[in-house]
Amino acid sequence: MTEFHEFMVAILRSGTPLVYVTMAGVIAQRAGVWHLGLEGVMIVGACATILGIVLTGSFAAAIVIACVLCVAASVLLWFVIEKLGANPIIAGLGLTGLGIGGTALAVQALFGSLAAVTAPFGVPRLGAAFGPYGALSIFVLMMPFVVWGMWVLLCRTRFGLRLAAAGEHPLAARSVGTDPARVRLIALAAGGVLCAIGGAELAAGGLTIFAQNMTAGRGFMSFAAVIFGAGHPIAAAFAAMFFSLVGVAGIRLQLLFGASIPHDVLLSLPYLATILGVWISGRMRGGAKAATEASELRDY
Amino acid sequence: MTDADPPALHCRGIRVTYGEVTALADLEIAFARGAIHAVVGQNGAGKTTFARVAAGLVRPDAGSLAIDGHALRLGRVAGARAAGVELVHQSFALPPSFTVAEALEFGAGAGIGVYSRRRLLQRCRERLAALDLDVDPRRRIRDLPVEVQQGVEIARALVTDARLLILDEPTAVLPPAGIEALFERIRRLKRHGVTVILILHKLREVMAVADTISVLRGGRLVAGPVPCDQADERRIAELIVGQSAAGSVSADDARALVGAAPVRGAAARDTSASAALDSHESVLELADVSTAKDPEEPPLDRVSLLVRPGEIVGVAGVQGNGQRTLVQAIAGLAGITGGDIHLGGTRVSRLSPVSRRALGLRVIPFERNSEGLSLTSALWENWSVRELLQKPLFSFVDPSALRLRCDEALRTWGVRYASATQNAGALSGGNAQKVILAREIDEDARLIVAAQPARGLDIGATAFVWSALREAAGRGCGVLLISSDLDELFDISHRLVVMLSGRVVAEFVPPYDIGAVGRAMTGASM
Repeated sequence: MTEFHEFMVAILRSGTPLVYVTMAGVIAQRAGVWHLGLEGVMIVGACATILGIVLTGSFAAAIVIACVLCVAASVLLWFVIEKLGANPIIAGLGLTGLGIGGTALAVQALFGSLAAVTAPFGVPRLGAAFGPYGALSIFVLMMPFVVWGMWVLLCRTRFGLRLAAAGEHPLAARSVGTDPARVRLIALAAGGVLCAIGGAELAAGGLTIFAQNMTAGRGFMSFAAVIFGAGHPIAAAFAAMFFSLVGVAGIRLQLLFGASIPHDVLLSLPYLATILGVWISGRMRGGAKAATEASELRDY
Repeated sequence: MTDADPPALHCRGIRVTYGEVTALADLEIAFARGAIHAVVGQNGAGKTTFARVAAGLVRPDAGSLAIDGHALRLGRVAGARAAGVELVHQSFALPPSFTVAEALEFGAGAGIGVYSRRRLLQRCRERLAALDLDVDPRRRIRDLPVEVQQGVEIARALVTDARLLILDEPTAVLPPAGIEALFERIRRLKRHGVTVILILHKLREVMAVADTISVLRGGRLVAGPVPCDQADERRIAELIVGQSAAGSVSADDARALVGAAPVRGAAARDTSASAALDSHESVLELADVSTAKDPEEPPLDRVSLLVRPGEIVGVAGVQGNGQRTLVQAIAGLAGITGGDIHLGGTRVSRLSPVSRRALGLRVIPFERNSEGLSLTSALWENWSVRELLQKPLFSFVDPSALRLRCDEALRTWGVRYASATQNAGALSGGNAQKVILAREIDEDARLIVAAQPARGLDIGATAFVWSALREAAGRGCGVLLISSDLDELFDISHRLVVMLSGRVVAEFVPPYDIGAVGRAMTGASM
């Protein structure tokens, strides 16, 4: 039984950051932005949390700093897309590069080395009352409520409908007095907060460490979960947890089989699962064709 | 008009310019409350721009708007909606993935607006029932027939108790049977005190439903609003088309254009080269052609069809009965599973679209904005595709020479444009269609497949398209005209076939009997 609990803890611990960032991707996707900057915003969140704890000695201050910086990064993306008319995909990839490089630079500037930064403490834990799950952070407990909240917001409110209209058919949104650009600003800023939490959980949820490029493609995996889940918050959250499960299972297999399976194959399992997942969802929904049709509705 | 009775909508000196193009030039117009007002005009006359200004979607450079005597903040949709102005777009503005219930809800008010599924459905059913619209609120917009989509969009517009409803060319997308239902709906709205402004392009429709008519030309008001019962149709037609062009339209065309009475098509045969029609030569022959199943359109089911040189063959039918598949099969975009297609005696069943083009096939596709033109490419690029397609893959392109030739061609076809380097997306519908005509109708054309070539175009542009097709036929080119507009088909076709569920179910020759054709279209026993 402890084996099972350990397995679940591992899945939740590696899946929770993905789920938060996936929610950021979902809200952006619905508002009409293919958010490939998730990776960059997430690593800013991770780095800001650890540096914040080290520099201020307070977790609350650290998470506020992380949120502010992530929202700023997201607003930068919005500005480049909406005001400077950049291609959202290219701009998102640029933001990812900026996040990865910028965090490495920040660590170097503050500590004079590129080595990993360790914080004395991390996200508050659930505590002994939760038994074998006590070692998990409060963000894990919050996660199902955040997903549910996103579902209500996006699928059961007029605001959610207007957001979806802005993404799918901007003229329709403008016809009811909603400015699609403003909706995207709100969506990206909200996504910034979610990415900050996802990054904080990644860096300070278990170990309390920030290393260069520590997101290691998790932002892109979250983006894949958005596609796999067809932009639906609950489906996308399950997709993210599925990717986490595959990753954890890979590590277990490695322990079981040791040398008989190459190390790299097992480590690449979650990424292979991501590609497979996106391919399957594409087949189920007419994939590229559906995407082109949606983009044709753009009125500018 | 006294102070006690201010107009429902009053535009003063509205000016809108897009770059170098002036869409509205100091437009002055006032519409009385509680009536149905029609606005007609050429392409580029500024009708759609006028509608968008009134709805707050476009902010004019100058001028002012007043609703029921109260000044409106310009360029603000929220402000216009608060004053009771709603616009129903020509190509609807409802997100296709939304359900009917969601589509009615998303514009229903500001704020977060949390709802439960049950309450939403119930509210939606009430709204639909009030408008007498029979549709399941759980169905998605993209799965609905166009007339139902339009009904839903009108319902969407009325959710917030609109007092001034503007419909931009609402009949352009409707099959003939749907138009009367729409008009009935509009009349009922009028009885409920809603002022309706209809942007239309068929005078018969104007006369059938509107109380007043106004004519725009070149962004200015040239007539109206005058009561329809005092309006002289011929005079109005002249005002729309402009005196110079009006003289060149034949009497039959003029009747078909304004739809005064159904044209029986007797004249079409006389004006054609009848000698050519009796020949056994064919430019297009389909023999028992079938296509694979497609979720969006019925496949062709053993379709046989013959088009002779100089002949205009009309294809009638309610939208969605295999017309798109037919065009794709001929163009080489849909694979065929049985039968054979011959172009001018050459078997082309397995040839690529480019090879078919080399044999003289020209296609004016259904969707001019997505299939016919690349809206984000320059006009000269759109136009010169026809030559570039026939060149080897690695041949050189001389843009300046192509631009010059494009300019020449577009001028010959009377396209209103600023420069060959401007994007095709900047043109109005009629001008965009002329660019396609300029590209597709050339000396080497042997067969022109024209799919709804005049859809959404107004009187002047439609007459232009027709005369272009007739001229092409006069030169010995075969024309296959697919349309859901019977006036159009009757007026210019030498022969008419009717499609139903992917099959050719009937064939007619002039004089056409509108009753018999209508019955064939709906599959009623003859």
